[in-house]
Amino acid sequence: MSGMDAARFETLAGTWGGVITRWPQDLREDALIFLADHPEAARCLLADAQALDEALDVLGLPTPTAALRDTIIAAAPAIRRRNILLRWLSGAGIGAALAAASVSGIVVGVQVSQVEAVDSRSEAVYSVSNDDDWYALPETESQS
Amino acid sequence: MARVARGDQAAVQALVARKLPRMLQLAQRMLGDSAEAEDVAQEVFVRAWRQAPRWVPGAAKFDTWMHRVAINLCYDRLRRRREQPMAEPPDQIDPGPAPDRGLLASDTGVRVSAALAALPDRQREAVVLCHYQDLGNIEAAALMNVSVEALESLLSRGRRALRAALADLKE
Repeated sequence: MSGMDAARFETLAGTWGGVITRWPQDLREDALIFLADHPEAARCLLADAQALDEALDVLGLPTPTAALRDTIIAAAPAIRRRNILLRWLSGAGIGAALAAASVSGIVVGVQVSQVEAVDSRSEAVYSVSNDDDWYALPETESQS
Repeated sequence: MARVARGDQAAVQALVARKLPRMLQLAQRMLGDSAEAEDVAQEVFVRAWRQAPRWVPGAAKFDTWMHRVAINLCYDRLRRRREQPMAEPPDQIDPGPAPDRGLLASDTGVRVSAALAALPDRQREAVVLCHYQDLGNIEAAALMNVSVEALESLLSRGRRALRAALADLKE
């Protein structure tokens, strides 16, 4: 014998729908007993509630677009870091690296040519100022 | 979440596959607008990615946390709508059922979407959490910051209003 009467069963069906297994756990046992004791009345009430469940279920679970899914995944922390790294390596990064290499090449070239120019003058300067530390030419170069 | 925080791509993809449709559904049913629902779902994940490194396992259910964020974002938008009434309804209404369910289902879908949209916000929230999101009464009540009895009252009134609005569908 269930502690649940028809009015309570009707209220619960109206609240939780026509499928007793979707009702709150603590109500199910009494509901199932009521169903066993009054099958016809219970089924009628459940069918009524189930009709609304079915109408609501027509909407179904939406399917996310691939664009939305990809945008969300691309924003995940590590993936975002990796994407930045990949972008850097594949595009702008390589460009920047090449530009940096070019600039450093030019700088080195200029420095070398300056060194050579200085080198060519070194003997004269060296002869004038043999013990001056400020002149930065290495001894080997200056002596060669 | 720990794997997500470590940048495990498979974990990220699995989380998105599992949670995105649910977040989208929640926002779509609450807002009745698929474009806005996408914005909300995306924002929920942006916050989830931010939260991932600080997530403490067992402190709270991640699904509940996501629901709370999504609901708050939906209420922000509903509030904004009330403050700035739109001259026209949104371009993209809830599209209703999948195309393969046919014209009759599509009509029903539009009717159900309209009936849901006509509910007071709190009743709609109760229906969405309990029916569509399939949350238990205790979890749904906690998300809504109400007692279980209050949740049941909101849910009962919401379903009664829906049944009245959709009564002719049974015939």
